[in-house]
Amino acid sequence: MFGKILIANRGEIAVRVLRACRELGIRTVAVHSTEDKDSAVVHLADQAVQIGPAPSRQSYLNAAAIVEAARATGAEAVHPGYGFLSENPDFAEVCEANGLTFIGPPPDVIATLGDKTAARAAMTAAGLPLLPGSVEPLNDAEGAARLADEIGYPVIIKAAAGGGGRGMSIVEDPVEFSRSYQQTRATAQTLFGDGRVYVERYLPSARHVEIQVLCDGYGNAVHLGERDCSVQRRHQKLVEETPAPGLPAELTARMGEAAVRGALATGYLGAGTFEFIVDTENNFYFMEVNCRIQVEHPVTEAVTGVDLITEQIRIAAGERLRLKQEDIRRGGVAIECRVNVEDPDRNFVPTPGRLEKFVPPGGPFVRVDTHGFAGYKVPAAYDSLLAKVIVWAPDREGAIRRMRRALAEFTIEGPGVHTTREFLDRVLRDPLFVEAKHDTGLVARILGD
Amino acid sequence: MSSSYRLPRAVHTGFDEHGEHEVIELHHGGLDDVLTSVQRTAADLLARSPHAPASLTVRAGVVAVEMTWAATPAPAAVAAAAASQTVPAAAPAAAIGTVLAASTVGVFYRSPSPGAAPFVKEGDQVVPGQQVAIIEAMKLMLPVEADKPGRVVEVLVKDGASVEFGQPLFRLAPIDS
Repeated sequence: MFGKILIANRGEIAVRVLRACRELGIRTVAVHSTEDKDSAVVHLADQAVQIGPAPSRQSYLNAAAIVEAARATGAEAVHPGYGFLSENPDFAEVCEANGLTFIGPPPDVIATLGDKTAARAAMTAAGLPLLPGSVEPLNDAEGAARLADEIGYPVIIKAAAGGGGRGMSIVEDPVEFSRSYQQTRATAQTLFGDGRVYVERYLPSARHVEIQVLCDGYGNAVHLGERDCSVQRRHQKLVEETPAPGLPAELTARMGEAAVRGALATGYLGAGTFEFIVDTENNFYFMEVNCRIQVEHPVTEAVTGVDLITEQIRIAAGERLRLKQEDIRRGGVAIECRVNVEDPDRNFVPTPGRLEKFVPPGGPFVRVDTHGFAGYKVPAAYDSLLAKVIVWAPDREGAIRRMRRALAEFTIEGPGVHTTREFLDRVLRDPLFVEAKHDTGLVARILGD
Repeated sequence: MSSSYRLPRAVHTGFDEHGEHEVIELHHGGLDDVLTSVQRTAADLLARSPHAPASLTVRAGVVAVEMTWAATPAPAAVAAAAASQTVPAAAPAAAIGTVLAASTVGVFYRSPSPGAAPFVKEGDQVVPGQQVAIIEAMKLMLPVEADKPGRVVEVLVKDGASVEFGQPLFRLAPIDS
């Protein structure tokens, strides 16, 4: 096992990783920008190294500074959290070249799965179902339009290098295709420096369901069930839950088996998430793999009792997976709400600032993952996620009641600071959500967009 | 919130008994950290002050550091209220000026190669753009250049030590006109 781990991230996930390290008896190194020098993880860590100024490009994305910080402090492994360098194959490679263990999949696996067309090809080969569409990137507009006709409209054009809901457009009608195709290519080139796109069928009222997997370096893999992330605003998740309401257990078991098959076929290592789309007839299709721990991982932890970050660290240290598929027993229902510093009344504009009051909820079966504290100044330089509230209950109705109670307790006040707390309550009491008849269009309907 | 909670628990840099920086001396908890933080704060304040103050008091919780200066530029005494620990002042009155800080994490070198003469030494005058040190990051040798004219009064980091972003490397005094 490692003696010391460097946490190459900030915010709530840095604190989450630090807690896992503490429980494993591993010393921690926090790295931080000048903006984050008074942050929670810096207060909690055994050591801290300032790696750059506020802009992420010069600090949390600065691979050289992070590797130097690891070398100076004697850290043996790097946990990248999510976002930033977590799915960057070059960073994983630089870590390895400098004798550091990157806590995640090997660089070549990240590279393959990070490229959506390469991932589609790999999963087709592994026998996973895919939506009708192109496996290879499309290079000419005419060929792409012909393929779209074959697939049948509506179609979605996606950037091969895309992610996080960016670089995609839905095309309802053949006459729009050529313009959308050119536009998506241009957007993808701007956003990702890679203009390659592919086309697949678009399912308007589909559900996004993802499967958590864990793989060790000895050919063992398990899945820990699904998460439903259908409550989204502009492809950004707001509420996540497990199990996915209304999906037959037999279906999610088949999805889990497919995810394990795909993971083993690509030589995956550590914790990963397979995203699927499920249509109204309960057919499921592979979408993409996220080669990192995810924001919503605590709901899986709540129903399985498995500490995913601890498992990631053990696997990276070369330990064998101690869990077998039959050991994964899921019980009850868990929901997570993301409390962001954003103003829902002003189109969710971020509202950074100092938190004069910060009182997280407590009580039975309530977990809060946050880097916030009274007096903390939420910087404007980074994303707006301030806290994740996770609740567990034996059934979904109880979990919704518990979440509404917890959110009502959560006090966050500061000059100019707004949060999504009350908006989340509107989602939780929406009749479609309560009856689990919602899809990805729910938030837009609540907002009257 | 108590004032002690706001103090950094992981202290990035400290001073040894000679008043020099120990580099990335990262340690945890206790009165020593508080003292170190207070001393560092005092040194930073002095470095940014255009004139030498007659006295300076920095207080954090139960710890207070007072510095006073005699008329002659002799090292001033530092008294810590909460502990009977006396260290020389971080900077004599003559050293008031600016600090040149590290632009990246890496290893600090004073000379172009091992055994060679340092780029600059105490007392040297530097001009903007003049190379004064090297920081090695990921096997890249990055020159450290003076950003304004001045006279080197103190080299704050030992040759071959690790530095973090923003860490003071040199203390520069304005050039007498």
